[in-house]
Amino acid sequence: MAVRDTLKANLDVALASTSVGVSAELPFSSAGEPLYVKNMKFVYLDEDNISKEELFNTLDNNDIAQTTTTVTGYLAVDAKTQPTDIDTVVSAIINSRQAVSGQSTRECAMSTDIEADVLIYTFNFNFITI
Amino acid sequence: MAIINVSAGDEAVLSIGDSAANANVSAGAGLTVPYIQDITVNNSTGVFRWKTLDNTAESAVTTPATNQLSLNLVVDTDAFFGSSNADLVVNDGIYGCSTNKRRVYFRVHFDGTDTGSKFISGSGFISGLAPTTNMDAPVWVTPVTIEVDGDYSTVGTI
Repeated sequence: MAVRDTLKANLDVALASTSVGVSAELPFSSAGEPLYVKNMKFVYLDEDNISKEELFNTLDNNDIAQTTTTVTGYLAVDAKTQPTDIDTVVSAIINSRQAVSGQSTRECAMSTDIEADVLIYTFNFNFITI
Repeated sequence: MAIINVSAGDEAVLSIGDSAANANVSAGAGLTVPYIQDITVNNSTGVFRWKTLDNTAESAVTTPATNQLSLNLVVDTDAFFGSSNADLVVNDGIYGCSTNKRRVYFRVHFDGTDTGSKFISGSGFISGLAPTTNMDAPVWVTPVTIEVDGDYSTVGTI
C-alpha cells in the first residue's frame, strides 16, 4: 500500500468530524490554479516520492539500503476567516504520520504561505525504512 | 604487478571453520562470513631499541608480533547465532564461538576464491563483539576481532 493511500485512509477517519475534507485527487493545477486553492478546506496529497540510499556498503555487495518516501500534502483555507477547528485539523494531519507502520523515521514538517487571501498549509511527510 | 580491486563483491572474502580444511571455501564446510563492511589484517610487531655511544642513531630489532583480524559487519542471524551444522564454528555462529571460546580457523582471501587467488590463513579466537543498533541505522552491526594465536600461515594460493 502506498504511503499516500495510508495517509489518506487515516485522514478520512481523523478529519471526518471536522470542517475539512480529504480529496482523493492529486493536487494538479486546473486552468493555472492548483486544485487545493480552487477547492479550499480539502486536504490534497501528492504521490509518493521514493529514493533508495546506501546505508551500509558491504564487501560482498549485499549492501543494506534504506528507502526514503516523501509525500507532500496541501490544505488551503480562507486567510481572513479560518475554520474554527483549524488547530485540530492541523494536529490531525501531522499525527497521521503515525499511521504509516514499519518505518524507523516518521516525520512531518508543516509550513504556511499566504497568497492573496488564501492561507496554504504545506505538509512535508518523510518516512525512512530499511 | 596489479592493484587488488575488491569492488566486484567476491574478492575480499573471510571464511572460517573448525579446522584448517573447513576454512577452505572450496570445501564448502565452513562459513563464508557475510555482510562484512571492512576488514583489516594486523601484523604489528613490537620494537626493541637501544643506544650506543659509538652511534648517532638508535639501533632496533622487532619483537614478536601481535596478529589480529579486525572487521565490522552487519549482523546476519545464521552467521551470528549459528545454524545446525557439522562444522562447530558454523553451528555455534560468531557469537557462540566467542562465548564458547572456540578456536576458529580462518582464511582471508584478498582477490577472490578462484584458482591462483591469494589468501592469509591462521587460527585464533573471536573477541570484541559489540552489537549495536539505533533508529537512525536500524540494523544490527558489530565489530569482530579474531585474536590470532601465533603466526599467520604462509601466504597461500588456492
